[in-house]
Amino acid sequence: MIPPPSSSRIQHLPRRPWPEPGPAILQAQGLTRELGTVVKTKVLLGIDLTVRAGEFVSLTGFSGSGKSTLLYLLGALDKPTAGSVLFRGLDIAALDDDERAELRANAFGFVFQFHFLLPEFTVLENVMIPMLRRGKRSSRDAEEHAIRVLDSIGLLPYLERRPSQLSGGQQQRVSIARAVANDPTVVFADEPTGNLDSKNGILVMEAFEKLVFEQGITIVMVTHERTFAERTSRQIVMSDGQIVEDLDQRGG
Amino acid sequence: MNRTVLFVALRQLWERKLLNGIAVLGVMLGVLTLITINGIMQGFQQKFLINIIKVSPHVTIHDKELRPSASILARFDGGFVVTSVSHETPSDRQLRIHRPFEIVRSIEQMDGVTGAAASLAGSAVLAVGSKQYPVDLRGIDPDRQDRVTPISQFVDQGSYRALSASADSMIIGVGVARELGVKVGDVVRCGAALGPTMSLKVVGIFDAALPPIDNRRVYVTLRTAQILLGKPDIIGQIEVKLADADRAGEVREVLERGFGYDAESWQEQNANFLALFKQQNMIIGFVVGAILAVGGFGILAIQIMIVLQKTRDIAILRSVGFRRNDILTAFLLQGAIIAAIGAVAGDIVGHYLVAFLGTLKIKQEGLVRSETFMVYDDPKFYVYGALFALAVGLLASLIPALRASRVEPVDVLRGQIG
Repeated sequence: MIPPPSSSRIQHLPRRPWPEPGPAILQAQGLTRELGTVVKTKVLLGIDLTVRAGEFVSLTGFSGSGKSTLLYLLGALDKPTAGSVLFRGLDIAALDDDERAELRANAFGFVFQFHFLLPEFTVLENVMIPMLRRGKRSSRDAEEHAIRVLDSIGLLPYLERRPSQLSGGQQQRVSIARAVANDPTVVFADEPTGNLDSKNGILVMEAFEKLVFEQGITIVMVTHERTFAERTSRQIVMSDGQIVEDLDQRGG
Repeated sequence: MNRTVLFVALRQLWERKLLNGIAVLGVMLGVLTLITINGIMQGFQQKFLINIIKVSPHVTIHDKELRPSASILARFDGGFVVTSVSHETPSDRQLRIHRPFEIVRSIEQMDGVTGAAASLAGSAVLAVGSKQYPVDLRGIDPDRQDRVTPISQFVDQGSYRALSASADSMIIGVGVARELGVKVGDVVRCGAALGPTMSLKVVGIFDAALPPIDNRRVYVTLRTAQILLGKPDIIGQIEVKLADADRAGEVREVLERGFGYDAESWQEQNANFLALFKQQNMIIGFVVGAILAVGGFGILAIQIMIVLQKTRDIAILRSVGFRRNDILTAFLLQGAIIAAIGAVAGDIVGHYLVAFLGTLKIKQEGLVRSETFMVYDDPKFYVYGALFALAVGLLASLIPALRASRVEPVDVLRGQIG
């Protein structure tokens, strides 16, 4: 286990009260997912969950508890076997593949355990590509915006580097920049700190907190790390495909 | 198509210069082969056809083939009991064209006809000393015949004019001259099966660069041929030259209907060569197709490998909102670009190679005689090569592209995260 962060930075982080959550943004109803083709395993057993705007939700639980599967379903990366996921009232489960891709481009951002950047492209290009694909900004506008986002996360000196030339923490922050650059409503993070040392882990957590406080972005994060889970505004504990605890941590 | 897809495809292509370069090379070789083999083959065929069209009549009129009349037996079939008939002899009717000069004059009035000439052809034997050589004898009207088959152009020793000056003269092909060891001014004895033997003087030697003709053909005046062949006053054929050789087929029909004789176009006369060329071209098509297909397999193998290596990147692109079709397009684009670059490179190198081959000194003797490689640089082949390469490239990258487009981001994420 990674030792609890002892860096002084965590103490310096202002412990502001979490903002009051807005209206429901993601609603899962009876969400069931089976995996496997021959032997079917039920990974999720009818999850009911409502995520509200501006929440920083952490999903915790042992390996195989279904938390990542739930994240993929909420993030429109996957289709449920049964049940529905409503994003602002729109049923994601009923969308076809292209429509889900469009939804991901327009409303969601993703950060994964491994940095998942495209090795052939520079840091700047990695952040720009989702914006260019979405096509809402001109390429010049997209570039300016990408530079702004990367600057806010302390990566201005590395714009023209390839991901392989950055440290793990820097790479992960580039993926946060990429997730955020397209002005998403929700950012989904799958063990974003799982591959980082505690110092970099804290930097990533701070970056997420900043998104919630300053941009009102909703975050759903799968994590193994108790200390990080406890710092979110709401902690959901899963076990064997079901939610066993739903903790409101807004009080701190 | 989305510009970002193009951007991503180009960058990924560029980042794998070595692999994709090999794929480009494969396509290039295919296109190169297509251009050079076709250049050489067409060079040979075109040269042959051009020479043939130049020295042969475009349409030849001759008497209806005498079919052996039905045997006596057949006439009594089913009637009397006759089992065999001895000593049946074929008709002694001569193959000839009646009123040939009227026909020649009226053909000369026709549109698109540049010349018509009556002549008599037969087999004869030339003899010098004890050496004998069988030839294809043509009795011609020198002035008219030259408008149909311009022999005078090819007479490089002696003169064509001299043929009309004297009845005892002949013009022979360069191969005939070589075979008999005669030169202009020599006297050669000439005879045929049904006529007297005559001594004729060689007044000219022609070289049409077509061994089948140069090695056999002998020209004498019409009257001399009629005496030699024992066919006084007989005209065996009328040869016609057209302004446009491709119209030979239709003119042939008009002449057949108009004069009631059989007529044959140059295509029909050379049908065996044309069929041979067709077969040659088909074989070339197969060979070139196979080479390009191998180039296609190069693209296929490399692209499949890249797709396997890139599943993670595909998952990333899909998760940030790229559609299945975007991924499909990106990989098809890469195949098309590889093919396009290979095609352009093949076209350029092929062009220079064909030009270089054209300068090579190679002695050829056969259907056509030439001192150099005969090449035919047809822009058509460059276009064909490029189009074919593009089709192969797209086809070859279709499977990898489909595979790439079916990558489920979730499967990749699950595999990585466990």
